[in-house]
Amino acid sequence: MRMRAAFCGLLLSVAANANAESLDWLKVVAFAAHQTDYSGVFVYQYDNRIETSRIIHVVEADGEHEKLESLDGPKRKIIRHHGQVWCYINHKMVQVDSQQVRIRFPAFLPEQISTLSANYRAEQIGVARVAGYNAQVILFEPKDNLRYAHKIWADTGSGLLLKAAVLGDKNQIIEQYTFTQLQIGGNIDRSWIGATAPGDSLPASQEVIKGGTPINSGWTVDALPQGFKKTMEIQRPMRGRRTPVTQIVFSDGLSAISVFIEPDDGDEDNVSGLSSRGAINLYHKVVAGQLFTVVGEVPARTVIQVLDSIRYKDK
Amino acid sequence: MKKEISVLMDGELFEDEAEGLLNQIKRDSAAHKDWEIYHLIGDVLRQPEHIHCDLSAKVRERMQEEPVVLAPRGHAVKQKIRTVALSAAASLVAVGVVAWMSAQITPETFPQVAMQQAALHPASVQIKPRSSDYLMAHQEFSPSMDMSGGAAYIRTVAYGIDGK
Repeated sequence: MRMRAAFCGLLLSVAANANAESLDWLKVVAFAAHQTDYSGVFVYQYDNRIETSRIIHVVEADGEHEKLESLDGPKRKIIRHHGQVWCYINHKMVQVDSQQVRIRFPAFLPEQISTLSANYRAEQIGVARVAGYNAQVILFEPKDNLRYAHKIWADTGSGLLLKAAVLGDKNQIIEQYTFTQLQIGGNIDRSWIGATAPGDSLPASQEVIKGGTPINSGWTVDALPQGFKKTMEIQRPMRGRRTPVTQIVFSDGLSAISVFIEPDDGDEDNVSGLSSRGAINLYHKVVAGQLFTVVGEVPARTVIQVLDSIRYKDK
Repeated sequence: MKKEISVLMDGELFEDEAEGLLNQIKRDSAAHKDWEIYHLIGDVLRQPEHIHCDLSAKVRERMQEEPVVLAPRGHAVKQKIRTVALSAAASLVAVGVVAWMSAQITPETFPQVAMQQAALHPASVQIKPRSSDYLMAHQEFSPSMDMSGGAAYIRTVAYGIDGK
């Protein structure tokens, strides 16, 4: 009897270790994503579409610089630096976001890790080869059907994420991105930093000159899916809106849900309804002159549950 | 009749009574319809998310329209023997296919198919370009940023926020 108890104990501790080891991988991946210079081409698959993009990420004395560029279809480009985001819209680069509120580093704080392990079972399920690199494959399996499963392939050398898939509850691929070519470190093009070309200058937008301000809006979500915790509540300017928008963010450690609340401007796109792109589901509803939008990389049922339980309570 | 069917479905009839009733259902099309409706109601009560409509009639209609070709045609007189052999072979294959299909149709597969259809439904409505701003605003605070860095932004620009 005692033997059996000891054996069970051993099994449990092995299981716990496996989980802890997988979670340690996440920290390594997060660190590598921000601290490594790399340049590569990746394929993004979603909703029966395939897109190829190039990404360059370099770390300079003044922080991270990143350029994301589509290689097929219409020209799309995003440049990011220090929470500021520029996007190629209507043939020019426009600043679309500027967030100073987020402490960008270190990623994966201990409380985030503990939230994550409460909602997902993490398991190392083998090794594979992606873009010529050896990768550790880790599966994060949700404990309920309110979130997706995530499978990641991390480079065993640098810790960089080489491939990531989001899986639905029948193990079907919802979206997937995979590096097909990747250079880590070494001589990486930095000529685009500081935007030397005249057409490529990065102006600060008139509209989005400052980021969000933390607030207590008085809005709450009554039926927040289990495991999600509020990580942020801000009032922020948004492109093309006259009034600031309230944004509340909830996270379960691996995925997030954003709630946006703003006065309804009567735009025809504001009609109630559900739409999706890859793992992202978006749900709109206009109630009493307010436009509610819920966005998250979670199943449709989860965004619907959140929107339908938004309530105003006294501050 | 309806009451008897209900009692049968609850498993409260004796074996011989049940057999008699089942035979009656097979012959009487109205009773057969009731039998189907009762099962549909049961399914809806058990799994309200996954049952949309009664497909059986449509499936039957489509199957009747499907051509059933078991043997190659033509040269019937000249190659009579060969045709017979072939059709025998084809019948064997058909039997195999049917056997394989019935092996595949376990009680679990049906709800699975229904669920996949339900899951595919929302994907048919693509996020409108104007909503890309919400994706962009959401992305910065998503944990996916921690893992994949800027590559996660691909979701926000997937096929163009141009022109809006």
